[in-house]
Amino acid sequence: MEESATFTIAGLTFDWSVIISTTISVLVVFLLAFWMSRKLVIKPSGKSKQNMLEWVIDFTNNIVDGSLPNKTGNNLKFFAFSLFMFIFMSNQLGVAFSVSVGGDTFLNSPTANPLVTMTLALIAISIAHFLGVEKLGFKGYVKSVYFSPFSALLPINLIEQFTSFLTLGLRLFGNIFAGEMVLSLLWQLAQSAGVVSFVPAFLLTMLWQGFSLFIGAIQAFVFVTLTTVYVSEKTE
Amino acid sequence: MLNQIVLAGASEGLALGNMLFVLVAFLILMLLLKKYAWGPVVKMMEKRAEKVAHDLDTAEEARQQAEEMASKRSTQLQSARTEANGIVADAKEAAGKQRDQIVADAQADAQATKEQASAQIAQERSEAMAGVKGEVADLSVTIAQKIIQKELKLDDQKALIDAYIEGLGNK
Repeated sequence: MEESATFTIAGLTFDWSVIISTTISVLVVFLLAFWMSRKLVIKPSGKSKQNMLEWVIDFTNNIVDGSLPNKTGNNLKFFAFSLFMFIFMSNQLGVAFSVSVGGDTFLNSPTANPLVTMTLALIAISIAHFLGVEKLGFKGYVKSVYFSPFSALLPINLIEQFTSFLTLGLRLFGNIFAGEMVLSLLWQLAQSAGVVSFVPAFLLTMLWQGFSLFIGAIQAFVFVTLTTVYVSEKTE
Repeated sequence: MLNQIVLAGASEGLALGNMLFVLVAFLILMLLLKKYAWGPVVKMMEKRAEKVAHDLDTAEEARQQAEEMASKRSTQLQSARTEANGIVADAKEAAGKQRDQIVADAQADAQATKEQASAQIAQERSEAMAGVKGEVADLSVTIAQKIIQKELKLDDQKALIDAYIEGLGNK
């Protein structure tokens, strides 16, 4: 794994790469959404930025409606939208930019860091469990999540809660981290033998970046979809 | 939720700072998005949905009204047409009567005029005849006078007699 410069405040360790990349990702998402939601009209013309934003909103709303076509789903739509935008932008950040100084990474995809993806997974799973308790009551939640379809499955259900949390975070991390790994390997290839290796590595990098854009979009979609699926599992 | 994360982080012995930072950053992002992007856009989308629904309702109402009006119009048109047909038929009848009347009047008129004219002609003819009779009588008298005057001359008498005789011979 790529090294990163760290600093410590009050016993908490921070990675510069995570801080910088997350901040940039958040800023880009916000500015993009802010820019696209200016001068709203009731009937936007063909290719306006408002239509683009509304398309994204419709897209994430449809993901939520796919597994949660009810009030819980309606309340979850904004979370799904924010999550999708943030993960999507985070995934694409490392495709275009990767800054490292003296072996320490300062800017890459925040989602190429397992802690970031596990944090997002933790948020998603926490919300799922919280909504489960809120909707079914604590007893109903315990019964439906840990003792269903019958009590003997308690151990398996317990394990499942952890595995779903782990796979949710690690799937995203694995995909994006692998993508960045390949990009850094291609960079090493480009440096290895001057122009002879630079040109093919350049072409391969372009190919891989295209593929990574695709992967990043798919993984953001998968993450949001699974989040809504987990919520629907806990609230039924 | 924060406690959960702290506990999870502590138990796993991970870099808690990163998780905290990502969590806070994401929460701030959500707040900002909700206030500046999601809120207005969703509001606008709802407004649009409302407007579309409202417009559809209005359109449906307008359509029904239009249909009602159209049926009313067609019945009105139908009645107007029958009325017009009646009026035309009446007018034709009246015109026919009037025509017959006019023709009969004209014929009577012409007959009267003709009779009057022929009577006048007959009268004028008899008057003319009476006039001509008088004139012929005068003329005969005048001719006779002239002939009598000519009797005074011998030669003329002779010639006259000769001519007369000649005329007899030719017969």
